[in-house]
Amino acid sequence: MAQIERLGSLLTGLIVWIGGVGRMLGQAVFRGPRPPFGGDDIGYQLLQTGVRSLPTATLMSGFIGMIFSWQFGEALAAFGAVSTLGNVAAFALVRELVPSIIAVTVGAKMATGMTAELGSMKVTEQIDAISSLGADPIKKLVWPRVVASTIALPLLVVWGNVMALIGGMFIGHVVFGLSYGFFYNSYIDELVMWHYVGCMVKSIVFGTLAGIIGCYQGFNTQFGTEAVGVATTETVVATTIAVVVADFALTTIFVQV
Amino acid sequence: MLEPVFDLRGVAKAFGENVVYRGMDLTVRRGETVTVIGGSGTGKSVCLKLMIGLMSADAGEVRFKGQDVGEMDATALSELRRSVGMVFQGGALFDSMTVERNVVYGLREHTDMTEIKMRDRAVECLDLVGLGLDFDPDILEKMPASLSGGMKKRVALARSIALKPDVILYDEPTTGLDPPNCDRIAKMIRKLQAELGITSVVVTHDIETAWHISDRIAMLLDRRFPYVDGVKEFRALDVPEVRDFTRRRIG
Repeated sequence: MAQIERLGSLLTGLIVWIGGVGRMLGQAVFRGPRPPFGGDDIGYQLLQTGVRSLPTATLMSGFIGMIFSWQFGEALAAFGAVSTLGNVAAFALVRELVPSIIAVTVGAKMATGMTAELGSMKVTEQIDAISSLGADPIKKLVWPRVVASTIALPLLVVWGNVMALIGGMFIGHVVFGLSYGFFYNSYIDELVMWHYVGCMVKSIVFGTLAGIIGCYQGFNTQFGTEAVGVATTETVVATTIAVVVADFALTTIFVQV
Repeated sequence: MLEPVFDLRGVAKAFGENVVYRGMDLTVRRGETVTVIGGSGTGKSVCLKLMIGLMSADAGEVRFKGQDVGEMDATALSELRRSVGMVFQGGALFDSMTVERNVVYGLREHTDMTEIKMRDRAVECLDLVGLGLDFDPDILEKMPASLSGGMKKRVALARSIALKPDVILYDEPTTGLDPPNCDRIAKMIRKLQAELGITSVVVTHDIETAWHISDRIAMLLDRRFPYVDGVKEFRALDVPEVRDFTRRRIG
């Protein structure tokens, strides 16, 4: 009985959380795109969330490209099909691995940064202070962050795809003896427009999710010394799960296309 | 009798099982300073947040100049907040902004003033709270992290008066300050009332300050304000709870 109650309260909490995130996203989309558009704030957040995540995205993607090309190469070598390494790597990296891994690492980093910043503002009553001065905290704080993460993540994924390609080319050449040009051509030839579209749609959705979850968690940080830490930890988990679930949903759509 | 600025009637507010108010009434009239006292965690600050619409009552009415705050749309709330300033307990200055940008935040939001005019207004407001350019020529460019607790509260006060509000709500304005700074803040509250005719609602634990600044004192007890009186009358109240609270605080 107690377990059923616990499950019930867990589900209720999940529904309330999803509703809260959705509501905040709706408010941001409704109130944000009105003058003044907050271009300076968006630019500042792009710098904070996007440009500063470049080293992480570069490292992650480069190594993902190398690791998976190596793994695929070993498997293909068993069938004497190493020459198809570029085709297989392109399929996996562009359609799936680069966007989802960047979302789980860089996206979660963006989201936790937002939660920590907004959570501290909540605890020190700065969010209330914005409201008390007649400004809208959703427009001032949530809108620029969500827009910035929605723009930054796809750009990082584009950059990550280039880095993953370079990583794959390097392993293809050094480990499996494929020329750089051959790997590049087979990699690019495998991709069609819908693969790029799918990759970008996923990145945009992941970026929006990271931004809105980071903001929602920050705005709902409880008072107390440990609250900000708890909220940021929950943000990592929530962002990762949300990205994986959204990834599955989008994959079911794009696989059919 | 002057007209009420805030009129709270039958207000109920709870956070989960923690009931803060039940059938609470309080009236604040134009030009007066009402001080709210009561034990820690009893919901004194909640009263201010209900007044400015940062929280909504579960039942009852919170009226500002006759309008129900709970029924206000975004535009009406924005107007209310333009005419009601609030000084938060820790100052709640925006960490990432200079003192000048903090003070002019409301002006930037609600007016078309030029940068120069806003800067002038910031200097004027900081001067009023004793932090003018004579005090520190670099004050405008300073970041909140480099200010002392007392200075933060005074900058917060400057920010709240920048829009020339009719009412200022003070949440524990003297908590954590040394006696000279407490005196300074208390004098400022009086000065703003005397010179600008500002109505004030002050939440405090500091009974000494309360005696000095208040026209009336409201004591929060058992989720209501059963005792709301002028300072003289309040001090003369022969009620054990009131006597106990005020004497211990003085002690």
